[in-house]
Amino acid sequence: MDLPSTALSCGFSGGVDDFAGLLRRKGFLPAAPGVPMAAAPGSEAIPQTQATTILAFKFQGGVLVAGDRRATAGNTVVYDRADKVLEIDRHSIMAIAGVPATAWEMARVLEHSFQFFRRTQLQEMSVDGKVRALSKLLRDNFGFVMQGVGIVVPIFATYDAGADPAARLYFYDAMGANFEVTDFAATGSGSPAVRGILYYENNWGKKPLLEMEQDEAVTVALRALDTAAESDTATGGVDRNARIFPVIKIVSQAGITTLPDKQIGALFKRSVA
Amino acid sequence: MTEEPYRWVEAVANRREYIETQLASGSPIAAVGYRDGILFVTLGRTRQKVYEIYDRIAMGAIGHPGDIERLRMAAIELASTEGFTRSAADVSLRRLAYYSLSPVLKAGFEQIYGAPYLARMLFAEIGDKPEDDLFLRVEYDGAIATNGATFSETRQDFGALSGTRAATELMESFLKREHKPDGSLRSALKTGLEAWTVGHIGSSDDGARELPGKEAIAARLQEQLTGSGIEGAILERDARRAIRYRALADDEVKALTAG
Repeated sequence: MDLPSTALSCGFSGGVDDFAGLLRRKGFLPAAPGVPMAAAPGSEAIPQTQATTILAFKFQGGVLVAGDRRATAGNTVVYDRADKVLEIDRHSIMAIAGVPATAWEMARVLEHSFQFFRRTQLQEMSVDGKVRALSKLLRDNFGFVMQGVGIVVPIFATYDAGADPAARLYFYDAMGANFEVTDFAATGSGSPAVRGILYYENNWGKKPLLEMEQDEAVTVALRALDTAAESDTATGGVDRNARIFPVIKIVSQAGITTLPDKQIGALFKRSVA
Repeated sequence: MTEEPYRWVEAVANRREYIETQLASGSPIAAVGYRDGILFVTLGRTRQKVYEIYDRIAMGAIGHPGDIERLRMAAIELASTEGFTRSAADVSLRRLAYYSLSPVLKAGFEQIYGAPYLARMLFAEIGDKPEDDLFLRVEYDGAIATNGATFSETRQDFGALSGTRAATELMESFLKREHKPDGSLRSALKTGLEAWTVGHIGSSDDGARELPGKEAIAARLQEQLTGSGIEGAILERDARRAIRYRALADDEVKALTAG
């Protein structure tokens, strides 16, 4: 069944394939190995590139999603401008902690899946469908995770324009379980510190996260990431000389807004540094 | 009997006649370039006839719904896998039509023991500049016509599709005369609807060969609008977005056609 990518399949699929299924049928997506009970021998010895610390919480203007910029492999900093907050469609963001090689591929499959569904089925995929699609990709990847390669633990934020319109936030475990979040979520190696801060702010801060204005919300996000970077070497702090700031995006009814570095820089100077 | 060359030619000719009869009553589709993009417009009752294929590619089709679905699905699958494995910039309507759709349609048409595809399609791909816009018509036998300049003709920034070849030609000569490529969306919609009407007259009135007058067009359009709705979709040139296709909402069409 090795057809070139331009060959036309005459069999009428009727669009029953989802995009991942189509890719697999055409041999463009590797099938995950069956789940072994132990890590493959030697897999521990290869340091994998990892990306860390992402957070997301709901505030007045929707959902804020933020991520630091560092990618590491063992003790080595591989890259200090990694983008872990990825736009999937006009209203959806997937933020990733884990192995970028797998995560970026997953984001790519997800982005194409949503579009493929809309184009073939002539309707937008539901929010539940989108959340589930990411679950399925994680589940399919679990064989790799058990072998010690390619773990991804994402956060997914989207705007639900359905019967109960609201910005929604989900986090996942590596096996693909999805959990809807009422207030905040954080994953990655720096997340314990971030969770502590968000929990504190939400309960005993000046006001709950949900009531914060945008500038207040961005300040909390920057302070949380700075705290994570303080103790976790895998989380990148702000590099003011090179002007590297965290990526912060906001999901709302209007779509996705990416905060410009200038604005983040000014807020950082005022409230964090 | 079809082993004999003459019989085969005869069978193919019969088949062509059969397909043409089947397609003749299809509602025409006009695609016209305007200042900010490309507009697809047609009239219909219920079935959607203009589709999104990929970021920059749209398709309109006439024919049997089952065959249109197969071809539409194939086009989307091809464009999507290409866009995924390489990049969106590598998805090209020219390659999709010439290397993938055309050979399959030709094979389907000439293998006279199987069923042919009862469909003809009009594609458009929006470029960075209006000069890069591509309009392309793919026939049931795999023949392809484009808007590109050849030795004798100048480049056109429109495409037309209708139930019969003569009506399509009529639409083209109408658009050649009336279409202004740098107009607004409103004027593009007006010209597109008139072109649709010309195609409708051409394919229904025992194959009218002459361009109808302005009044005849207006009267026919008015008459058809009582029983059908306008379906419109655009490919926008706006480079800030990757996905350029957008179906026009009903109230948008109403606002554009009012006054």
